[in-house]
Formats: sequence, structure tokens, C-alpha cells
Amino acid sequence: MKRFISTISLLLAYNHLFANNSFHDTTKVIELNEVVVLGKTSKQQLVHFYKTNQASTLEDILGRLPELSFVRRGAYGMEPSIRSFSGGQINVLIDGMRIHGACTDKMDPATIYIEPMNLQNLQLQTSTNGFTSGSTIGGTINMKMAEAGFSDQPSVKTSVLSGYQTAANSFFESLVLNVSNKKWAIRLNGTYRNSSNYKAGNGSVIPFTQYEKTNYALSVKYRRSAYTYLKLDYLGDDGWNIGYPALPMDVGFASAKIASISLNYENFRKRFQSGTLKIYANTIRHYMDDTKRPNVPMHMDMPGYSTTAGFISQSTLKLFNNHLLHLSVDASATYLKASMTMYAPGEPPMFMLTWPDNRKIQSGVSALWNIPVDSNWNVQLAARIDYFGYELTSQSAKEQTSILGYPSTSRNNLLKNSSVRITRNLHRNFRISAGISYSERMPTASELYGFYLYNRSDNHDYIGNLLLKPEHSYNTELSTQYQGYKTKITITGFYNKVGNYIYGMLLPGYSAMTIGASGVKSYTNLSSVIFTGFEATVISSIRSDLFLTSALKYIHAEKSDRTPVPFISPAKNTTSLRYQKNNYSIQLEYEAAAQQKKIDANAGEDKTSGYQLIHIRGGYNFNIKSTNLLVQTGAENLFNKFYHDHLDWGNIARPGRNLYIQLKVSW
Amino acid sequence: MKMAVIAITGTAMLFTSCKKENNEPDPTINLSKLAEGYASGAATKVVVYTKEATISTGYTKLYIALYDSVTNNRVDDAHIHLSPLMDMGTMKHAAPYENPDEEAVNHLFPSTVTFIMSSMGGSWTIGISVHNHSNGKEGSLTIPVTVTEPAKTKIKSFTAAHDGGKYFVALTEPASPKVGINDLEFVLYKKTSMMSFPADSSLTMTFIPEMPSMGHSSPNNVNPTHIGNGHYKGKVNFTMTGLWRLNMDFTSNGAVADTTQYIDIEF
Repeated sequence: MKRFISTISLLLAYNHLFANNSFHDTTKVIELNEVVVLGKTSKQQLVHFYKTNQASTLEDILGRLPELSFVRRGAYGMEPSIRSFSGGQINVLIDGMRIHGACTDKMDPATIYIEPMNLQNLQLQTSTNGFTSGSTIGGTINMKMAEAGFSDQPSVKTSVLSGYQTAANSFFESLVLNVSNKKWAIRLNGTYRNSSNYKAGNGSVIPFTQYEKTNYALSVKYRRSAYTYLKLDYLGDDGWNIGYPALPMDVGFASAKIASISLNYENFRKRFQSGTLKIYANTIRHYMDDTKRPNVPMHMDMPGYSTTAGFISQSTLKLFNNHLLHLSVDASATYLKASMTMYAPGEPPMFMLTWPDNRKIQSGVSALWNIPVDSNWNVQLAARIDYFGYELTSQSAKEQTSILGYPSTSRNNLLKNSSVRITRNLHRNFRISAGISYSERMPTASELYGFYLYNRSDNHDYIGNLLLKPEHSYNTELSTQYQGYKTKITITGFYNKVGNYIYGMLLPGYSAMTIGASGVKSYTNLSSVIFTGFEATVISSIRSDLFLTSALKYIHAEKSDRTPVPFISPAKNTTSLRYQKNNYSIQLEYEAAAQQKKIDANAGEDKTSGYQLIHIRGGYNFNIKSTNLLVQTGAENLFNKFYHDHLDWGNIARPGRNLYIQLKVSW
Repeated sequence: MKMAVIAITGTAMLFTSCKKENNEPDPTINLSKLAEGYASGAATKVVVYTKEATISTGYTKLYIALYDSVTNNRVDDAHIHLSPLMDMGTMKHAAPYENPDEEAVNHLFPSTVTFIMSSMGGSWTIGISVHNHSNGKEGSLTIPVTVTEPAKTKIKSFTAAHDGGKYFVALTEPASPKVGINDLEFVLYKKTSMMSFPADSSLTMTFIPEMPSMGHSSPNNVNPTHIGNGHYKGKVNFTMTGLWRLNMDFTSNGAVADTTQYIDIEF
């Protein structure tokens, strides 16, 4: 563990500062080599910086990245957004695998399936290469699961982690076991979390913020030859009694099973440098529950079911003059169904398909070509084509959807994406990079087939629109990077013009299904919506024992009539200062969000005030014989601020002061 | 001799029934036998079938099979006239009905009687007079019918505001409601005397389906329009299973006839 901490420190302090000015650090696509993972890009440095707090959830860590925000409907299961794009506008992948949530209310983004200790690396792809693993306008979050490495000597490593937090009276227990030798590398891990309702800054208990979950993963690698190995992954996640205070229902039970088998090859001396062929399948079940809620007008069951199977084939070829070509071929099929049954006393059950049984088939090819023109110029070209087919799979789904009167209930689209990025070293320490891209994304099953899906934010039922056109985006991005002896500064500005923007519009004359809802909306394509903004990141080792990270972001988004786009995060800054001396570390974090007055009242938004938070963290790391112990403690929201973020649905207050203590024992 | 005739007829019947089983399915296979008797004078056996085992108030389909009482052959060409009658002791009244065409459909004469009340108030009978075109004879019989009140009534009556007339509206479709688009059909009758309930096409009909316990409707319904013989045909969309209420409005050339009636459908 000590070695781990010092490795991170070392990497933070030196590696990136003296690293070669690789052109890849804004355009990283394929990483098979675990050695290069740590401390590569600013994003990854931030992830690893905040990952050192063992109690963090993945959302805590990702929320520190300036590109990312989270739409929050409860204490758990927040929905990630990249530069204000979320849901069907972005890809959220686990080891490249597509996973579709089984909840019609987006309670289960794929990010909930990765515990931080199970996260090896995060690939956040925006802008010019955001679409390389799937047609998308907003980008891709790919979470690479942790795996054991092969070792020359047989090795068994175990870590046990236990922690307690005061705000929600919550605790968690984790276990990691790594077993490896020359031929085999096996990793087994499990986490259990149990959290009660948390207390907000004013001391009040926020009801329905409880959750309980267990997460378990097994990764088995078998080396076939010097350059190839087979890998088998299984990830399971079960959650119970998960509260969503901003929604009318909670989750009674949710379960995910995610499995894959892959053949991996790498040999950086060969022209065919690396390749992966992966076959995967996952299935998710999700049962919403209103039995614990007071004043429920009518009890209902809302089960959802999702299953996806597919393959990914990726390879990296080294061409002439160090040109690199990344090729990817992938396909997947996703089957979804969700229904609602309401029970009125003395009447037959009211049964309805909220996602009429449907199947999406996706198949795509992408190429990314990196051209080092000379030592100062680099050009990167990327393109992707995706074929999407949607269809209803059951007679009852077709009959129900026929009510809406569409000429056809299936959809077929060919989506096209392409980009160019040019990077120029202006100086030994200074680099500028410009990219333009065109990308498209397919409407989601909810947007096409959703049947009276209730949106608590704007209090409307939503029905799908089978005539929706794919959204497209023209994006330009300009990035500058200064990399000095001690300090790295990255500033990125972007201008993104989205056409056929998918937006909820009132359907006059339709009556809302949900009791108390104001009306019915359907999705429509808006001609043009513009997103502009910037992100700035500073990572600095002020002294050998003092590290500073700071990230600032701002986004402005407006429709063609100049009205604001809903759910845009206000300007935000997160700054952390970490003092690390021998076995001790102390970290001070400052988090600030500006007020957000630019709101779209039609989407159920209201204005949000700004807030400032201080967190303080400390760690002590020591050994007893060959056992390493890490004690961490701290206070989040130190001044017990009562606040909510602009992206929090229902203005549900966030936790107040949270004291935590945790112990990690490794041997 | 008599024995011989019976034997021959019996053998023939066996033979024909075997043949029939092989060649065409029994047209009454999904029907229930309501009554059977002889139309005296027409030398015709009359068998009446219905879809349901019990008859309820509302629009009721009757399938009448005729047999030559001598040969026992099916009679597929006949003129049948119905006379439903409710005897309440102190008074009697008829009910709306639809006589079958003279050509049988699949050996059966489809006809309807719209029972406007249950047998709780008296005794229902249906007079059936038959003109058998194959032997040219005429005769009739009367069958008793027990009519029950269903849990969800399929017939309503109202006194129209614009002309003071008494109208009966009965739901005929959907017979098997489902989630999705359903054919919707009503039949409208006007009472002109105790014994006369002719089909009416003078009213314009609109409707709104509603789930009473939820308070919502469904989109894209099609109001029923008159297609002949008092039948109004449209579409009703059910977005889910459960109890649906069809709220009906009737107007006559813009003048309100009635806006108070509804029929419930439960599935």
C-alpha cells in the first residue's frame, strides 16, 4: 500500500511533468498496457488523485472531473453527463461493453456497477474521438475494470477495507484478493454497502435516501503465449431498498449480471501492435417499489428488464512513419421491456407496457488514424459508421403502440461520424490542439417507444415519437496545454452546435396517465441548440510534499430562440491541496458552484443558489510486519452547509457534515 | 317398415355425420344451445344457439339452425322473423331485434335481440316464425329465455332532451377488448311504441373513454358514425387493461340529446 501511495505521488509529482509530450494524452483510445495507465492525462490524474480516498463512490470521483456532472435523483444511482449531454447522448461503457439500464426512470446508469476499487482506469472521450466506440454526440465514459497482473513469482495479495460514515450512519466492507503467477492472474473482489437516510446540513433527516447493495467481481486471466492471454470477467451487483427521494418510487430490488470473455494480444515490436476480441452479455432486472411511501394514491409495480449481448474487436496497427491506426468493429443487440401494473381495489389490475418489448441492433466500424507529421505537428483522423435497427418484438407491444398511429413501429438508421484534430507543439512546454467533428446519435428506446413514462421533474408523462430524427452535432474544440517543470495547465474551449436536438414538447389533447401529472409530452427535434463552454485544469507539485489540483468548468447552452437548455451545470471549481510527508497525508478540498439562473421552466427547473464546501481528509499509512495498514479519516461538508446542486431533482438537500473513518489492511 | 326407415335414416345420419366431420367443422362448435323445438306447420326443427351460456341484457347474437323435420337435412334458405316479448303480468313489451338474411351463413341464420331488461321483472320469450323455402311451408314456435343482468351492463336507455323520445344504446363491439386499437360499435334504437323499437340513425354520437379510478383517457379514438341499421362504428384505444368507462354524448343536428350515459368495459 505504501508503495501504491508513493507510486501515485511519484507519478503525480514527476511522471507527467517529465513525460514525453505524447500526442495521445487528449486522444487516448485504446489502452491495453496497464503500466501506462497511471498519471497519463489530466483526467486520469484527477481520477487517481481522488481515488486515494478509499470510501469514495465512483460518482464522487468522477464528479471531480470538469467534463462530468451528475444528475441526482437520490443518494445513489446518479446519472452522469458529459458537458451537459446525458442518457442517449453519451456512451457509458464498462470495459467497452454496452449496458442498458432496466429502469425507465434512469435510476440505474452503468456507473453504479463499478466500485472505485474495481476501477482500473477511466477513459473519458469527448469531442473528436468521443464517438469511436459508438455513435454519440456527447462522448464516451469507458470504465476499465481492475484486473490482476501476471507475476514471475507466485503471489497472493489480499486487502480488506472497512469504513463508517456519520451523515447516513453508513458502513461498507470490501475484500480484494489477487492471485497470480506466470500463467494465471486472478482477481476476486466484493463490496457491501449499507446506508440509512442521511442528515442534511440543517440537521433534518432526508427520507428515502437509504440504500443497500453488494457488488462482486471475478477476473481470470490465462496467458496462452508471450503475447496473448485469455480473460474471463464476471461482475455482479445487487441492490435492495434503494431510495430515490426525487422520484415517486424507490427500488425494491435491482440486479445486474455482466460477463465477458476476451482474447487479448499485444506486441509493441510488431506492426500489429495490439488487439482484443471480446464477446459479452449482460442482463439487468429492476423492480420499483412504492410500498414504503406515504400517501400513495394507488399501489403499482414497475418491473424492468434489459439484456444485451455483443462483441467488440479492436486492433492497433503501426503503419509507416509511426502512423498508428486503431480499428474497431463491434455489434450488439439489446432487448428491453418494462411494464406497470396498478391495483385499484375491486377492479381488475391495470397492466401497461411502459417500454413495449423492443430490440435494438447496433453494428459499427470505426477507424482512428494518428499521423505524426513531424516532431511538432500531429494530425488525427477518425470516422465511424453505425447501423441501428429498432423493432418491437411482441404482438402485445405492437398492438399497444398502434394506438399512437405511426405508419411503422421499426426504425433503421445509418449514423455517420467523423473528425479531424491537429496538434502543434509551439514550444517545448506549450502545445495547442484544435479539432472539429461531426457526430450523430440514435434516439433511445424511451424516446421512440416510451409509453406514458412519468417525468417527476416537469410532472409530465412522456410518450415516444417514432418519427424522431437522429440528433447530430457539429463540434469544434480548441485546447492549449502548458507543461512546465512543476505545473501542468490545460485549458479547453468548445463550441457545439446540435441539430435535431431531442426535446420534450407538450402534446395538446392528451390526458396524463399518472395521477396528478400536468399533461403529456412527446419528444420532438429542435432545429438547433448551441453549447459553448470551457474547462481548465491545473495540476501542480508546488513542493515535493505539496500537490495542488484545481479544475474549473463553465457551460452556456441555448436553444435557437435563445432560451436556456435545461439541466446545465453552473460554473464550478474544485480545488484540492494535499500535503504528503512520510506516512501522513492531509488534504484540503474546496468545492464551489455558482448560482444557476438560466433555467428552462418547461423542463421543471428552478433557479439554484451557489454554494461553497470545504472537505478535509487525512491518512496514515504504516506497517506491522508484512501487513500494511492505511487509516483514513475526514470531514466532508465541514461547515455543515445546507445546499443542493442545480442538477439535483426535486431540490433535495445534499448531506450535511459527514465524518468518516476507514481502515484498509493489505497483506 | 318403421324400423327399416329408422334404420336407414339412422345409417344415413351416421354416414352424413361422419362425412361432415371429415369435410367441414361443426358450425356450432363454439356456441351454446339455447333452445330447440319444432316450428309447427313448417315441418322444420329450429335450434337456437348463443355465444355465451347465459344470456345477459344488451345486444345478444342468436344463431338459428333449421332442419327439415322429415329428412333432418339442414335448411339453408328460409325467411325467419323474430318477435321478442317481455310479459310483466300487468303489461307487455317487445325489444329491438334484427332478423337474419334469407341465406344461412355457414348453415346458421345469425340474428340479434337486444334485451332491454333482465328476467327479474317478468318472462322473456322469443317468437320465431319460419318460412321454409325448401318445402314452401310456414310455421312458428316460441322459446322462453332467461336474461340476467351482467356485472357491467352493455345497454343504456335515455329520454332525449331534444325530442323527448326514449332511446336505447347497446354496445356490440369490442366483444373481446384488448390493449391497443379496438373496433367500437354501438347500436341505437328508438322506442316508438311498446311493441316497436326501430333502429335509429338520427343522432350523432361522440365518446370519451376514461379510466374512472385513474382519471385519464386515451389518445386517437375515432367517434362512431352510422353505418346502417342503427349501427354506429368507430375505434376505441385502450392503453392498459382494467376498468374503462365509455362516456357517450348524443346530439341531433347540434341539439343535445343526452350527455349522461356511459358503458363500462372491464378486462
